[in-house]
Amino acid sequence: MFETTKIVLTEISRNLIKKIKDAPFLYFMFFGMILFSIFIFSFATYFLINIETNLDISLEDIFFMVFFIFLLKTVADFYNNFTKSPTITYSLSTQVSQKKTAFEIFLAVLLTELIIWFSFSFIFLLSLSTFKINIYYPFEYILFTFGIVTASCLGCAVSINFFSPKKYRLLPMLLLLGFYFYISSPIYVVFTLPIAVIHCTWSLSNSMESYLFSKRKQRTKEKSLLKTHTIIKAQFHRETTILWREKLLFSFVFSSIITGLFSGYLFLYGDEILIPEQLRETLGGFLPSMFIFLGVYVVVMYTAVFPALNLFLNEEKTMWVIRHLPVKNDTIVYGKVSALALCFLTSIPFIFYISIFTGFNQFVFLFWFLIFSYIAGIIISIPLGVKYVGKKSDILLLYSVSMILFLIIGLMISFVNIIEKLFGNPIIFYLLVLLFEIFILYFSLKFSSRILALKYNLTNYS
Amino acid sequence: MIIVKNVTKTYGKIIALENVSFNFNDSNVIAIMGENGAGKSTLLKICTGILSFDKGYVTIDGFDIIKNSIKAREQIGYLPEMPDMYERLTGREFLFYIASLRKLNDAEERINDITKMIGINDFLDFEIGTYSKGMKQKISVTSSIIHNPKNLLLDEPVYGLDPLTSRALQDFIKNRKGTTVIATHSTQLVEQVADIVYLVMRGRVILSDNVSKLISKYGSMEEAYFQAKGELNV
Repeated sequence: MFETTKIVLTEISRNLIKKIKDAPFLYFMFFGMILFSIFIFSFATYFLINIETNLDISLEDIFFMVFFIFLLKTVADFYNNFTKSPTITYSLSTQVSQKKTAFEIFLAVLLTELIIWFSFSFIFLLSLSTFKINIYYPFEYILFTFGIVTASCLGCAVSINFFSPKKYRLLPMLLLLGFYFYISSPIYVVFTLPIAVIHCTWSLSNSMESYLFSKRKQRTKEKSLLKTHTIIKAQFHRETTILWREKLLFSFVFSSIITGLFSGYLFLYGDEILIPEQLRETLGGFLPSMFIFLGVYVVVMYTAVFPALNLFLNEEKTMWVIRHLPVKNDTIVYGKVSALALCFLTSIPFIFYISIFTGFNQFVFLFWFLIFSYIAGIIISIPLGVKYVGKKSDILLLYSVSMILFLIIGLMISFVNIIEKLFGNPIIFYLLVLLFEIFILYFSLKFSSRILALKYNLTNYS
Repeated sequence: MIIVKNVTKTYGKIIALENVSFNFNDSNVIAIMGENGAGKSTLLKICTGILSFDKGYVTIDGFDIIKNSIKAREQIGYLPEMPDMYERLTGREFLFYIASLRKLNDAEERINDITKMIGINDFLDFEIGTYSKGMKQKISVTSSIIHNPKNLLLDEPVYGLDPLTSRALQDFIKNRKGTTVIATHSTQLVEQVADIVYLVMRGRVILSDNVSKLISKYGSMEEAYFQAKGELNV
């Protein structure tokens, strides 16, 4: 009974244990970061309860945020454990009904989501109690728990139907989301749980249509890769083609625009929304520049760190291709990193959109700060990506890099403030910093190719 | 010519190869046979520079695979056992990519010739992610011979191929010049194409002999394989 569920859960837990054993320090930092984030959320809750601000965050807002996080997580988890999992073939080929196998995998995913929910909410409540905030809200807790079950059912349905040849089966889910948007009430979301369960069951009974389904698409119009190039150019074309086909470039541009608009809006109105009137004079000047800083940080994380890490992490099974060819390690690293030049272009819309709010007199500084942060992101990500080459995209690494990057660009912005106060507008300083950073980037790339060589014991790494 | 001298490779406490030595000469087709986990694929990976090793040395046409790896890798073509490729590229794009990295000038002509011989030319413009196992094998075979290498290392080359392509590939191996090393379980393939066979067991070479000699002695390669195992009591 429930053999597949047990196997999937065992696999998930053993993978986690193996990762912790492989990189105990990084995982220690990772869990520390999670606890710290929960503590910050608790502090924010305390702040919002006790201090009057114009920021209006209701229980509904938090409910829908948690709801959509778990919905998306279930989509990804079910996709990885069923839709695109070749290992499930063995279970699916036995005399056990395929619907039952699919259901058991959904059960494993649902249990994982609930374990995450109960453990994180427990720590959060514990943390809230340290601030002496009343945590006795049993009805709300049950509401959230059922909300997560509903989100998991819908996430499973999305995961099955989005990758199936019959995408119209997503319609009930889209209607439900429309209903949630219209009604904006958690209680009604929980009332729709039976509908979500029916949709999920219906989708699970048709899940074999999406299992390992991939549409054959003939590509005859794209000619850039259909000629020989220099090695670096060939790698650039390969990396950017994959980014384009995965629709990541579009997503980067979109996120840059949204982050620009959002940070710009907070730059103008953040004080008014977040800071109580009596504190505005004392704290007011601090917030606008912080929103610019956070905006740049988010854009760099998205358009530089994420693709830079994945340049190497994603080469899990394909490393043999470049490893057996007569290509220098330096060339491998330079070729891959060259693709980030295109990713940088996708971050530029951020500058234009935030400048609508900040005014274009800040444009030069913003552009410099974006370039500085972008290069810093690459400097940190590439050696770590090479070090963990073939380990697949890992949230642990992403978290570690994000922490280091935050520290570096935070220190730089403080340094710039000091320099500005001492010398006014320091254009020469900006240029010198960039030159120095390019110098460091060069060493970072050299160091990365050295790591790549050492991984394979090759002495002529350059 | 590939020389493997006293190579030892361990995975933690497990010894994959123990003090093995080979001399793979030009104009020979050499087969390496052995049980699963005997160390055949490990040996080929070491010869291509994909895998590091603990002791010994490997040279490809006189170039050390560690100290002069670029020159050494220029001389080889390699087909891995289970080839994973970039799934979002089409077969044609992948082959042009390999041609670029190999610095080939007449890539288009070579790709057309080989893919026609292998029988994958009709599917070259589809993404590799949508290919069957055999189609992926065909693309991988093409990538390994696209530069007409002096030394060809093939790990289970006919695995997943249809009979027609399998025959075409066997003919290609028999007629090509240079060194060809094949790691395989197929005694039939060894009989068809190999001149010399090495039997590897638990990381050691336990037998090496001429294929025609073994066939005349035992009747078939399959019988020779079992007899050798029995006589050596392994």
